[in-house]
Amino acid sequence: MRALRYCFDEATASLWRGRGASLLSILTIAIALFVLSGFLVVAANLERQIAQWSDAAELSVYLADDISQDQRLAVDRILAGHDSVVAAREYLSKADALRRFKRDFPDLAGTADGLSSNPFPASFEVRLRGAQSGGDAADRLAAELRQTLGVVDVRYDRQWIQRLSGVAVFCRVTAYVLGGILVGAAVLTVTSVVRLALYGRQDEIKIMELVGAPIGYIRGPFVLEGTLQGGIGAGLALAALWGGVLLVRTRGPQLLEGLADLSTTTFLPPSLAALLVAGGMLVGCVGGFIAARTAR
Amino acid sequence: MIEAHGVSKLYNRSVYALRDLTLTVEKGDFVFLTGPSGAGKSTLLRLLLREEVPNKGTLKVAGRDLARLTTRQVQAYRRGVGFVFQDFKLIPRMTVLENVAFVPRVLGAGSPQMQRRTFQVLKWVGLQHRMHAFPLELSGGEQQRIAIARALINDPVLVLADEPTGNLDPDLSLEIMNLFREINARGTTVVVATHDRELIRQVGRHTITLAHGRIVENE
Ligand SMILES: Nc1ncnc2c1ncn2[C@@H]1O[C@H](COP(=O)(O)OP(=O)(O)OP(=O)(O)O)[C@@H](O)[C@H]1O
Ligand SMILES: [Mg+2]
Repeated sequence: MRALRYCFDEATASLWRGRGASLLSILTIAIALFVLSGFLVVAANLERQIAQWSDAAELSVYLADDISQDQRLAVDRILAGHDSVVAAREYLSKADALRRFKRDFPDLAGTADGLSSNPFPASFEVRLRGAQSGGDAADRLAAELRQTLGVVDVRYDRQWIQRLSGVAVFCRVTAYVLGGILVGAAVLTVTSVVRLALYGRQDEIKIMELVGAPIGYIRGPFVLEGTLQGGIGAGLALAALWGGVLLVRTRGPQLLEGLADLSTTTFLPPSLAALLVAGGMLVGCVGGFIAARTAR
Repeated sequence: MIEAHGVSKLYNRSVYALRDLTLTVEKGDFVFLTGPSGAGKSTLLRLLLREEVPNKGTLKVAGRDLARLTTRQVQAYRRGVGFVFQDFKLIPRMTVLENVAFVPRVLGAGSPQMQRRTFQVLKWVGLQHRMHAFPLELSGGEQQRIAIARALINDPVLVLADEPTGNLDPDLSLEIMNLFREINARGTTVVVATHDRELIRQVGRHTITLAHGRIVENE
Protein backbone atom coordinates (compact mmCIF):
# COMPACT_ATOMS: atom_id res chain seq x y z
CA MET A 1 0.00 0.00 0.00
CA ARG A 2 2.78 2.35 0.97
CA ALA A 3 4.67 1.24 -2.13
CA LEU A 4 1.67 2.07 -4.31
CA ARG A 5 1.33 5.44 -2.69
CA TYR A 6 5.04 6.10 -3.23
CA CYS A 7 4.84 5.06 -6.89
CA PHE A 8 1.78 7.22 -7.45
CA ASP A 9 3.33 10.30 -5.84
CA GLU A 10 6.52 9.87 -7.81
CA ALA A 11 4.70 9.18 -11.09
CA THR A 12 2.46 12.24 -10.85
CA ALA A 13 5.39 14.43 -9.80
CA SER A 14 7.40 13.15 -12.75
CA LEU A 15 4.49 13.65 -15.14
CA TRP A 16 4.27 17.24 -14.02
CA ARG A 17 8.02 17.82 -14.09
CA GLY A 18 8.22 16.58 -17.68
CA ARG A 19 4.85 17.96 -18.70
CA GLY A 20 5.99 18.90 -22.21
CA ALA A 21 7.07 15.39 -23.06
CA SER A 22 4.20 13.86 -21.10
CA LEU A 23 1.75 15.91 -23.12
CA LEU A 24 3.33 14.57 -26.29
CA SER A 25 2.80 10.97 -25.33
CA ILE A 26 -0.66 11.67 -23.95
CA LEU A 27 -1.56 13.23 -27.30
CA THR A 28 -0.19 10.34 -29.35
CA ILE A 29 -2.22 7.92 -27.28
CA ALA A 30 -5.25 10.18 -27.57
CA ILE A 31 -4.90 10.42 -31.36
CA ALA A 32 -4.40 6.68 -31.75
CA LEU A 33 -7.44 5.85 -29.67
CA PHE A 34 -9.50 8.64 -31.23
CA VAL A 35 -8.88 7.27 -34.71
CA LEU A 36 -9.58 3.72 -33.55
CA SER A 37 -12.77 4.55 -31.72
CA GLY A 38 -13.83 7.15 -34.30
CA PHE A 39 -13.90 4.60 -37.08
CA LEU A 40 -15.65 2.15 -34.78
CA VAL A 41 -18.37 4.69 -34.02
CA VAL A 42 -18.86 5.47 -37.71
CA ALA A 43 -19.03 1.76 -38.51
CA ALA A 44 -21.50 1.06 -35.72
CA ASN A 45 -23.75 3.92 -36.76
CA LEU A 46 -23.61 2.90 -40.41
CA GLU A 47 -24.53 -0.64 -39.49
CA ARG A 48 -27.41 0.58 -37.39
CA GLN A 49 -28.60 2.80 -40.23
CA ILE A 50 -28.25 -0.02 -42.72
CA ALA A 51 -30.34 -2.29 -40.53
CA GLN A 52 -33.00 0.41 -40.39
CA TRP A 53 -32.93 0.95 -44.12
CA SER A 54 -33.09 -2.71 -44.86
CA ASP A 55 -36.20 -2.95 -42.72
CA ALA A 56 -37.76 -0.24 -44.83
CA ALA A 57 -36.26 -1.39 -48.11
CA GLU A 58 -38.47 -0.90 -51.12
CA LEU A 59 -38.75 -2.67 -54.38
CA SER A 60 -40.17 -0.65 -57.27
CA VAL A 61 -41.61 -2.53 -60.24
CA TYR A 62 -42.06 -0.14 -63.14
CA LEU A 63 -44.69 -1.10 -65.67
CA ALA A 64 -44.84 -0.41 -69.37
CA ASP A 65 -47.31 2.27 -70.45
CA ASP A 66 -49.04 -0.20 -72.75
CA ILE A 67 -49.36 -2.95 -70.17
CA SER A 68 -52.54 -4.98 -70.43
CA GLN A 69 -54.92 -5.63 -67.58
CA ASP A 70 -54.00 -9.35 -67.62
CA GLN A 71 -50.32 -8.63 -67.51
CA ARG A 72 -50.79 -6.27 -64.58
CA LEU A 73 -52.78 -8.91 -62.70
CA ALA A 74 -50.02 -11.41 -63.44
CA VAL A 75 -47.46 -9.13 -61.83
CA ASP A 76 -49.74 -8.66 -58.86
CA ARG A 77 -50.11 -12.44 -58.55
CA ILE A 78 -46.36 -12.95 -58.51
CA LEU A 79 -46.04 -10.43 -55.69
CA ALA A 80 -48.89 -12.03 -53.78
CA GLY A 81 -47.21 -15.42 -54.15
CA HIS A 82 -44.07 -14.20 -52.38
CA ASP A 83 -45.53 -13.12 -49.09
CA SER A 84 -42.47 -14.45 -47.25
CA VAL A 85 -40.53 -11.60 -48.87
CA VAL A 86 -43.19 -9.04 -49.55
CA ALA A 87 -44.59 -7.15 -46.56
CA ALA A 88 -46.97 -4.90 -48.49
CA ARG A 89 -47.61 -3.81 -52.05
CA GLU A 90 -49.32 -0.81 -53.51
CA TYR A 91 -50.26 -0.10 -57.09
CA LEU A 92 -49.36 3.37 -58.28
CA SER A 93 -50.97 4.48 -61.54
CA LYS A 94 -49.34 6.96 -63.88
CA ALA A 95 -51.60 9.67 -62.46
CA ASP A 96 -50.70 8.67 -58.89
CA ALA A 97 -47.00 8.85 -59.78
CA LEU A 98 -47.44 12.38 -61.19
CA ARG A 99 -49.36 13.47 -58.12
CA ARG A 100 -46.72 12.03 -55.82
CA PHE A 101 -44.02 13.82 -57.77
CA LYS A 102 -45.84 17.14 -57.47
CA ARG A 103 -46.30 16.56 -53.77
CA ASP A 104 -42.64 15.66 -53.13
CA PHE A 105 -41.17 18.35 -55.34
CA PRO A 106 -43.55 21.34 -55.28
CA ASP A 107 -40.91 23.57 -56.91
CA LEU A 108 -40.90 21.40 -59.99
CA ALA A 109 -44.66 20.94 -60.15
CA GLY A 110 -44.96 23.70 -62.75
CA THR A 111 -42.45 22.02 -65.01
CA ALA A 112 -44.43 18.81 -64.89
CA ASP A 113 -47.61 20.67 -65.77
CA GLY A 114 -45.93 22.07 -68.85
CA LEU A 115 -45.37 18.61 -70.26
CA SER A 116 -47.74 17.45 -72.94
CA SER A 117 -47.94 13.90 -71.62
CA ASN A 118 -47.41 12.27 -68.23
CA PRO A 119 -43.80 10.85 -68.26
CA PHE A 120 -44.15 8.87 -65.06
CA PRO A 121 -44.63 5.10 -65.38
CA ALA A 122 -47.13 3.19 -63.33
CA SER A 123 -45.55 0.93 -60.73
CA PHE A 124 -45.98 -1.45 -57.89
CA GLU A 125 -44.33 -0.10 -54.75
CA VAL A 126 -43.37 -3.10 -52.65
CA ARG A 127 -42.23 -3.00 -49.01
CA LEU A 128 -39.96 -5.92 -48.25
CA ARG A 129 -39.82 -7.79 -45.00
CA GLY A 130 -36.70 -6.67 -43.03
CA ALA A 131 -35.23 -10.06 -42.48
CA GLN A 132 -35.62 -10.98 -46.14
CA SER A 133 -34.75 -7.75 -47.82
CA GLY A 134 -31.03 -8.46 -47.93
CA GLY A 135 -31.42 -12.09 -48.84
CA ASP A 136 -31.40 -14.17 -51.98
CA ALA A 137 -35.18 -14.51 -52.00
CA ALA A 138 -35.54 -10.81 -52.83
CA ASP A 139 -32.94 -11.25 -55.57
CA ARG A 140 -34.86 -14.15 -57.06
CA LEU A 141 -38.12 -12.23 -56.89
CA ALA A 142 -36.51 -9.27 -58.68
CA ALA A 143 -35.13 -11.56 -61.39
CA GLU A 144 -38.50 -13.23 -61.88
CA LEU A 145 -40.25 -9.87 -62.18
CA ARG A 146 -37.75 -8.66 -64.75
CA GLN A 147 -38.67 -11.64 -66.95
CA THR A 148 -42.35 -10.88 -66.67
CA LEU A 149 -44.16 -9.29 -69.61
CA GLY A 150 -45.15 -5.67 -69.12
CA VAL A 151 -42.40 -4.95 -66.59
CA VAL A 152 -39.85 -2.43 -67.85
CA ASP A 153 -37.63 -2.16 -64.83
CA VAL A 154 -37.19 -3.40 -61.30
CA ARG A 155 -35.30 -1.29 -58.87
CA TYR A 156 -34.61 -1.96 -55.29
CA ASP A 157 -32.35 -0.67 -52.52
CA ARG A 158 -30.26 -3.73 -52.05
CA GLN A 159 -27.26 -2.63 -54.13
CA TRP A 160 -27.15 0.54 -52.12
CA ILE A 161 -27.31 -1.26 -48.86
CA GLN A 162 -24.66 -3.70 -49.96
CA ARG A 163 -22.38 -0.87 -50.90
CA LEU A 164 -22.99 0.81 -47.55
CA SER A 165 -22.31 -2.44 -45.77
CA GLY A 166 -19.01 -2.51 -47.61
CA VAL A 167 -18.25 0.97 -46.31
CA ALA A 168 -19.08 -0.14 -42.78
CA VAL A 169 -16.76 -3.12 -43.06
CA PHE A 170 -14.09 -0.84 -44.45
CA CYS A 171 -14.49 1.47 -41.46
CA ARG A 172 -14.13 -1.43 -39.07
CA VAL A 173 -11.03 -2.77 -40.80
CA THR A 174 -9.54 0.72 -40.95
CA ALA A 175 -10.23 1.14 -37.26
CA TYR A 176 -8.23 -1.97 -36.46
CA VAL A 177 -5.40 -1.55 -38.95
CA LEU A 178 -4.83 2.20 -38.65
CA GLY A 179 -5.66 2.14 -34.94
CA GLY A 180 -3.22 -0.73 -34.48
CA ILE A 181 -0.42 1.13 -36.23
CA LEU A 182 -1.08 4.30 -34.25
CA VAL A 183 -1.26 2.34 -31.01
CA GLY A 184 2.14 0.86 -31.86
CA ALA A 185 3.48 4.37 -32.43
CA ALA A 186 1.95 5.44 -29.12
CA VAL A 187 3.74 2.63 -27.28
CA LEU A 188 7.02 3.79 -28.80
CA THR A 189 6.34 7.39 -27.81
CA VAL A 190 5.48 6.47 -24.24
CA THR A 191 8.59 4.33 -24.07
CA SER A 192 10.84 7.19 -25.15
CA VAL A 193 9.11 9.74 -22.97
CA VAL A 194 9.33 7.54 -19.90
CA ARG A 195 12.92 6.69 -20.77
CA LEU A 196 13.61 10.41 -20.92
CA ALA A 197 12.21 10.83 -17.43
CA LEU A 198 14.30 7.88 -16.37
CA TYR A 199 17.55 9.30 -17.75
CA GLY A 200 16.79 12.53 -15.95
CA ARG A 201 16.75 10.57 -12.73
CA GLN A 202 19.77 8.32 -13.13
CA ASP A 203 21.36 9.56 -9.87
CA GLU A 204 18.21 8.87 -7.99
CA ILE A 205 17.92 5.37 -9.41
CA LYS A 206 21.57 4.73 -8.65
CA ILE A 207 21.09 5.74 -5.03
CA MET A 208 17.96 3.63 -4.76
CA GLU A 209 19.90 0.62 -5.99
CA LEU A 210 22.78 1.26 -3.62
CA VAL A 211 20.58 1.56 -0.55
CA GLY A 212 18.84 -1.69 -1.46
CA ALA A 213 15.45 -0.36 -2.53
CA PRO A 214 13.07 -3.08 -3.79
CA ILE A 215 12.70 -3.32 -7.54
CA GLY A 216 9.05 -2.25 -7.29
CA TYR A 217 10.08 1.07 -5.82
CA ILE A 218 12.61 1.58 -8.58
CA ARG A 219 10.51 0.59 -11.58
CA GLY A 220 7.00 1.10 -10.26
CA PRO A 221 6.86 4.87 -10.68
CA PHE A 222 7.90 4.64 -14.33
CA VAL A 223 5.38 1.93 -15.16
CA LEU A 224 2.70 3.95 -13.42
CA GLU A 225 3.78 7.11 -15.19
CA GLY A 226 3.23 5.40 -18.54
CA THR A 227 -0.07 3.97 -17.34
CA LEU A 228 -1.27 7.41 -16.27
CA GLN A 229 -0.29 8.87 -19.64
CA GLY A 230 -2.31 6.13 -21.31
CA GLY A 231 -5.34 6.65 -19.10
CA ILE A 232 -5.35 10.42 -19.60
CA GLY A 233 -4.84 9.99 -23.35
CA ALA A 234 -7.76 7.56 -23.57
CA GLY A 235 -9.91 9.94 -21.56
CA LEU A 236 -9.08 12.77 -23.95
CA ALA A 237 -9.85 10.59 -26.97
CA LEU A 238 -13.24 9.63 -25.57
CA ALA A 239 -14.04 13.24 -24.68
CA ALA A 240 -13.14 14.39 -28.21
CA LEU A 241 -15.19 11.59 -29.71
CA TRP A 242 -18.15 12.42 -27.49
CA GLY A 243 -17.89 16.03 -28.60
CA GLY A 244 -17.84 14.88 -32.21
CA VAL A 245 -20.94 12.74 -31.72
CA LEU A 246 -22.79 15.64 -30.05
CA LEU A 247 -21.84 17.90 -32.95
CA VAL A 248 -23.14 15.41 -35.49
CA ARG A 249 -26.35 15.02 -33.48
CA THR A 250 -27.06 18.74 -33.37
CA ARG A 251 -25.65 19.92 -36.69
CA GLY A 252 -25.90 16.72 -38.70
CA PRO A 253 -29.67 16.68 -39.36
CA GLN A 254 -29.40 19.92 -41.34
CA LEU A 255 -26.64 18.47 -43.48
CA LEU A 256 -28.29 15.24 -44.47
CA GLU A 257 -31.90 16.28 -44.22
CA GLY A 258 -34.34 13.48 -44.65
CA LEU A 259 -31.77 10.95 -45.77
CA ALA A 260 -30.76 9.62 -42.39
CA ASP A 261 -31.62 10.60 -38.89
CA LEU A 262 -28.31 11.81 -37.52
CA SER A 263 -29.85 13.11 -34.31
CA THR A 264 -29.83 9.57 -32.97
CA THR A 265 -26.15 8.94 -33.71
CA THR A 266 -24.91 6.64 -30.99
CA PHE A 267 -21.71 6.77 -28.96
CA LEU A 268 -19.63 3.76 -28.02
CA PRO A 269 -21.38 1.41 -25.62
CA PRO A 270 -20.12 2.01 -22.05
CA SER A 271 -18.38 -1.33 -21.90
CA LEU A 272 -16.38 -0.55 -25.05
CA ALA A 273 -15.53 2.92 -23.75
CA ALA A 274 -14.28 1.37 -20.51
CA LEU A 275 -12.32 -1.15 -22.55
CA LEU A 276 -10.76 1.70 -24.51
CA VAL A 277 -9.61 3.45 -21.33
CA ALA A 278 -8.24 0.17 -20.05
CA GLY A 279 -6.55 -0.33 -23.42
CA GLY A 280 -5.01 3.14 -23.23
CA MET A 281 -3.69 2.39 -19.77
CA LEU A 282 -2.33 -0.92 -21.00
CA VAL A 283 -0.59 0.82 -23.88
CA GLY A 284 0.99 3.27 -21.45
CA CYS A 285 1.82 0.51 -19.01
CA VAL A 286 3.60 -1.49 -21.70
CA GLY A 287 5.56 1.58 -22.79
CA GLY A 288 6.45 2.41 -19.20
CA PHE A 289 7.43 -1.17 -18.52
CA ILE A 290 9.72 -1.38 -21.54
CA ALA A 291 11.39 1.85 -20.46
CA ALA A 292 11.60 0.82 -16.80
CA ARG A 293 13.46 -2.35 -17.71
CA THR A 294 16.41 -0.05 -18.40
CA ALA A 295 16.36 0.71 -14.67
CA ARG A 296 17.94 -2.42 -13.29
CA MET B 1 33.66 -8.12 9.39
CA ILE B 2 35.36 -8.23 5.97
CA GLU B 3 37.28 -11.25 4.76
CA ALA B 4 38.82 -11.17 1.33
CA HIS B 5 40.53 -14.29 0.12
CA GLY B 6 42.52 -14.29 -3.11
CA VAL B 7 40.18 -11.71 -4.62
CA SER B 8 40.91 -10.74 -8.22
CA LYS B 9 38.95 -8.38 -10.38
CA LEU B 10 39.80 -7.79 -13.98
CA TYR B 11 38.33 -5.54 -16.62
CA ASN B 12 38.80 -6.23 -20.34
CA ARG B 13 40.52 -9.59 -19.79
CA SER B 14 43.98 -8.12 -19.31
CA VAL B 15 43.59 -5.21 -16.88
CA TYR B 16 43.71 -6.42 -13.27
CA ALA B 17 42.07 -3.83 -11.02
CA LEU B 18 42.65 -6.14 -8.06
CA ARG B 19 45.02 -9.08 -7.99
CA ASP B 20 44.93 -11.94 -5.50
CA LEU B 21 43.91 -9.70 -2.64
CA THR B 22 43.72 -11.23 0.84
CA LEU B 23 42.82 -9.12 3.84
CA THR B 24 40.75 -9.06 7.01
CA VAL B 25 38.97 -6.12 8.58
CA GLU B 26 37.70 -6.68 12.13
CA LYS B 27 34.30 -5.59 13.28
CA GLY B 28 34.46 -2.05 14.65
CA ASP B 29 37.69 -1.34 12.78
CA PHE B 30 38.51 1.97 11.06
CA VAL B 31 40.50 1.31 7.88
CA PHE B 32 42.13 3.66 5.44
CA LEU B 33 42.55 2.35 1.92
CA THR B 34 45.25 4.24 0.13
CA GLY B 35 47.61 4.03 -2.82
CA PRO B 36 48.23 5.78 -6.11
CA SER B 37 45.57 6.45 -8.69
CA GLY B 38 44.47 3.27 -10.41
CA ALA B 39 45.58 1.10 -7.49
CA GLY B 40 42.16 -0.47 -7.14
CA LYS B 41 40.71 1.36 -4.12
CA SER B 42 37.39 2.21 -5.77
CA THR B 43 37.21 -1.26 -7.24
CA LEU B 44 37.45 -2.84 -3.80
CA LEU B 45 34.73 -0.53 -2.48
CA ARG B 46 32.50 -1.44 -5.43
CA LEU B 47 32.99 -5.09 -4.63
CA LEU B 48 32.10 -4.39 -0.99
CA LEU B 49 28.91 -2.58 -2.08
CA ARG B 50 28.19 -5.63 -4.22
CA GLU B 51 28.00 -3.51 -7.37
CA GLU B 52 30.34 -6.06 -8.87
CA VAL B 53 31.60 -9.51 -7.96
CA PRO B 54 35.20 -10.76 -7.99
CA ASN B 55 36.36 -12.84 -10.95
CA LYS B 56 38.31 -15.01 -8.54
CA GLY B 57 38.50 -15.56 -4.80
CA THR B 58 35.86 -14.98 -2.16
CA LEU B 59 34.77 -11.81 -0.48
CA LYS B 60 32.77 -12.24 2.72
CA VAL B 61 31.11 -9.57 4.80
CA ALA B 62 29.69 -10.58 8.18
CA GLY B 63 30.15 -14.18 7.11
CA ARG B 64 28.15 -13.88 3.87
CA ASP B 65 29.81 -14.57 0.55
CA LEU B 66 28.81 -11.55 -1.51
CA ALA B 67 29.06 -13.40 -4.82
CA ARG B 68 26.40 -15.89 -3.75
CA LEU B 69 23.65 -13.46 -2.79
CA THR B 70 20.34 -13.45 -4.63
CA THR B 71 18.87 -10.13 -5.82
CA ARG B 72 16.76 -9.90 -2.68
CA GLN B 73 19.69 -10.76 -0.46
CA VAL B 74 21.75 -8.07 -2.17
CA GLN B 75 19.03 -5.55 -1.35
CA ALA B 76 18.93 -6.71 2.26
CA TYR B 77 22.74 -6.59 2.47
CA ARG B 78 22.92 -3.06 1.09
CA ARG B 79 20.42 -1.83 3.67
CA GLY B 80 23.08 -2.55 6.26
CA VAL B 81 25.81 -0.69 4.40
CA GLY B 82 26.20 3.10 4.23
CA PHE B 83 28.18 4.73 1.44
CA VAL B 84 29.68 8.16 0.81
CA PHE B 85 31.22 9.38 -2.45
CA GLN B 86 33.60 12.12 -3.41
CA ASP B 87 30.90 13.91 -5.42
CA PHE B 88 28.25 13.54 -2.65
CA LYS B 89 25.58 12.22 -5.05
CA LEU B 90 22.81 14.31 -3.54
CA ILE B 91 19.64 14.82 -5.56
CA PRO B 92 19.59 18.50 -6.56
CA ARG B 93 15.82 18.87 -6.85
CA MET B 94 15.24 17.65 -3.32
CA THR B 95 15.84 19.60 -0.12
CA VAL B 96 18.35 18.44 2.46
CA LEU B 97 15.55 16.88 4.46
CA GLU B 98 14.12 15.10 1.42
CA ASN B 99 17.54 13.85 0.40
CA VAL B 100 18.09 12.20 3.74
CA ALA B 101 14.51 10.97 4.07
CA PHE B 102 14.71 9.56 0.54
CA VAL B 103 16.42 6.40 1.79
CA PRO B 104 13.80 5.28 4.32
CA ARG B 105 11.11 6.40 1.89
CA VAL B 106 12.27 4.12 -0.92
CA LEU B 107 12.75 1.33 1.58
CA GLY B 108 9.10 1.61 2.55
CA ALA B 109 9.65 2.84 6.12
CA GLY B 110 6.75 4.43 7.98
CA SER B 111 6.55 8.19 8.25
CA PRO B 112 6.77 9.00 11.98
CA GLN B 113 9.85 6.88 12.66
CA MET B 114 11.34 8.06 9.41
CA GLN B 115 10.96 11.70 10.41
CA ARG B 116 12.36 11.21 13.85
CA ARG B 117 15.36 9.37 12.50
CA THR B 118 15.92 11.99 9.76
CA PHE B 119 16.01 14.84 12.28
CA GLN B 120 18.29 12.78 14.47
CA VAL B 121 20.97 12.21 11.82
CA LEU B 122 20.73 15.79 10.53
CA LYS B 123 21.26 17.06 14.04
CA TRP B 124 24.11 14.65 14.43
CA VAL B 125 25.98 16.11 11.43
CA GLY B 126 25.04 19.59 12.68
CA LEU B 127 22.85 20.67 9.77
CA GLN B 128 19.31 20.53 11.11
CA HIS B 129 19.05 24.31 10.62
CA ARG B 130 19.63 23.89 6.86
CA MET B 131 17.16 21.10 6.30
CA HIS B 132 14.96 23.11 3.92
CA ALA B 133 17.87 24.28 1.79
CA PHE B 134 18.72 22.65 -1.52
CA PRO B 135 22.08 20.88 -1.89
CA LEU B 136 23.44 23.43 -4.35
CA GLU B 137 22.86 26.19 -1.80
CA LEU B 138 25.30 24.48 0.55
CA SER B 139 29.08 24.45 0.70
CA GLY B 140 30.98 21.31 -0.31
CA GLY B 141 31.64 20.42 3.32
CA GLU B 142 27.98 20.82 4.19
CA GLN B 143 26.93 18.72 1.21
CA GLN B 144 29.25 15.97 2.29
CA ARG B 145 27.81 16.09 5.81
CA ILE B 146 24.36 15.63 4.31
CA ALA B 147 25.64 12.65 2.34
CA ILE B 148 27.05 11.22 5.57
CA ALA B 149 23.74 11.80 7.34
CA ARG B 150 22.06 9.88 4.54
CA ALA B 151 24.57 7.04 4.87
CA LEU B 152 23.84 6.79 8.58
CA ILE B 153 20.07 6.85 8.52
CA ASN B 154 19.74 3.06 8.37
CA ASP B 155 22.13 2.44 11.25
CA PRO B 156 24.59 0.60 9.00
CA VAL B 157 27.04 -1.94 10.36
CA LEU B 158 29.53 -0.95 7.67
CA VAL B 159 30.23 2.49 6.18
CA LEU B 160 32.19 2.75 2.92
CA ALA B 161 33.58 6.09 1.74
CA ASP B 162 35.38 6.70 -1.56
CA GLU B 163 37.50 9.85 -1.42
CA PRO B 164 34.96 11.58 0.83
CA THR B 165 37.25 14.58 1.27
CA GLY B 166 38.52 14.69 -2.31
CA ASN B 167 36.64 17.91 -3.04
CA LEU B 168 37.27 19.60 0.31
CA ASP B 169 40.05 21.75 1.74
CA PRO B 170 42.25 20.33 4.54
CA ASP B 171 40.34 21.85 7.49
CA LEU B 172 37.02 20.57 6.23
CA SER B 173 38.61 17.23 5.46
CA LEU B 174 39.64 16.81 9.04
CA GLU B 175 36.18 17.81 10.20
CA ILE B 176 34.59 15.18 7.97
CA MET B 177 37.13 12.61 9.10
CA ASN B 178 36.20 13.35 12.70
CA LEU B 179 32.60 12.56 11.82
CA PHE B 180 33.74 9.17 10.52
CA ARG B 181 35.71 8.64 13.71
CA GLU B 182 32.61 9.34 15.76
CA ILE B 183 30.62 6.89 13.67
CA ASN B 184 33.34 4.34 14.25
CA ALA B 185 33.36 5.05 17.98
CA ARG B 186 29.78 3.81 18.12
CA GLY B 187 30.85 0.41 16.85
CA THR B 188 30.33 0.82 13.10
CA THR B 189 33.06 -0.57 10.85
CA VAL B 190 34.39 2.21 8.57
CA VAL B 191 36.43 1.87 5.37
CA VAL B 192 37.68 5.10 3.82
CA ALA B 193 39.56 5.24 0.51
CA THR B 194 41.77 8.29 0.15
CA HIS B 195 45.12 9.27 -1.23
CA ASP B 196 45.46 12.13 1.21
CA ARG B 197 48.55 10.91 3.13
CA GLU B 198 48.51 13.99 5.34
CA LEU B 199 45.02 13.23 6.50
CA ILE B 200 45.94 9.63 7.28
CA ARG B 201 48.91 10.84 9.27
CA GLN B 202 46.69 13.15 11.31
CA VAL B 203 44.04 10.55 11.98
CA GLY B 204 46.43 7.62 12.18
CA ARG B 205 44.52 4.39 11.85
CA HIS B 206 44.75 0.94 10.31
CA THR B 207 46.00 1.67 6.79
CA ILE B 208 46.06 -0.66 3.81
CA THR B 209 48.13 0.55 0.90
CA LEU B 210 47.38 -0.79 -2.57
CA ALA B 211 49.39 -0.53 -5.76
CA HIS B 212 48.49 -2.14 -9.06
CA GLY B 213 45.74 -4.11 -7.41
CA ARG B 214 47.96 -5.66 -4.72
CA ILE B 215 48.50 -4.91 -1.06
CA VAL B 216 51.91 -3.36 -0.59
CA GLU B 217 51.48 -2.36 3.03
CA ASN B 218 49.05 -3.29 5.80
CA GLU B 219 49.64 -1.70 9.17
N1 LIG C 1 34.52 0.01 -15.27
C1 LIG C 1 35.84 -0.19 -15.58
N2 LIG C 1 36.15 -0.66 -16.81
C2 LIG C 1 37.46 -0.86 -17.14
N3 LIG C 1 38.48 -0.65 -16.32
C3 LIG C 1 38.21 -0.15 -15.09
C4 LIG C 1 36.88 0.08 -14.66
N4 LIG C 1 36.91 0.56 -13.40
C5 LIG C 1 38.21 0.59 -13.06
N5 LIG C 1 38.99 0.16 -14.06
C6 LIG C 1 40.47 0.02 -14.02
O1 LIG C 1 40.81 -0.66 -12.84
C7 LIG C 1 41.94 -0.10 -12.25
C8 LIG C 1 41.66 0.31 -10.81
O2 LIG C 1 40.73 1.38 -10.82
P1 LIG C 1 40.15 2.04 -9.51
O3 LIG C 1 39.11 3.01 -9.91
O4 LIG C 1 39.77 0.99 -8.57
O5 LIG C 1 41.42 2.83 -8.96
P2 LIG C 1 41.51 3.83 -7.73
O6 LIG C 1 42.52 3.26 -6.83
O7 LIG C 1 40.16 4.08 -7.19
O8 LIG C 1 42.07 5.13 -8.43
P3 LIG C 1 41.77 6.66 -8.07
O9 LIG C 1 42.62 6.98 -6.90
O10 LIG C 1 42.18 7.39 -9.29
O11 LIG C 1 40.30 6.79 -7.78
C9 LIG C 1 42.37 1.07 -13.13
O12 LIG C 1 43.42 0.63 -13.95
C10 LIG C 1 41.13 1.37 -13.92
O13 LIG C 1 41.50 1.84 -15.21
MG1 LIG D 1 38.87 5.77 -7.05
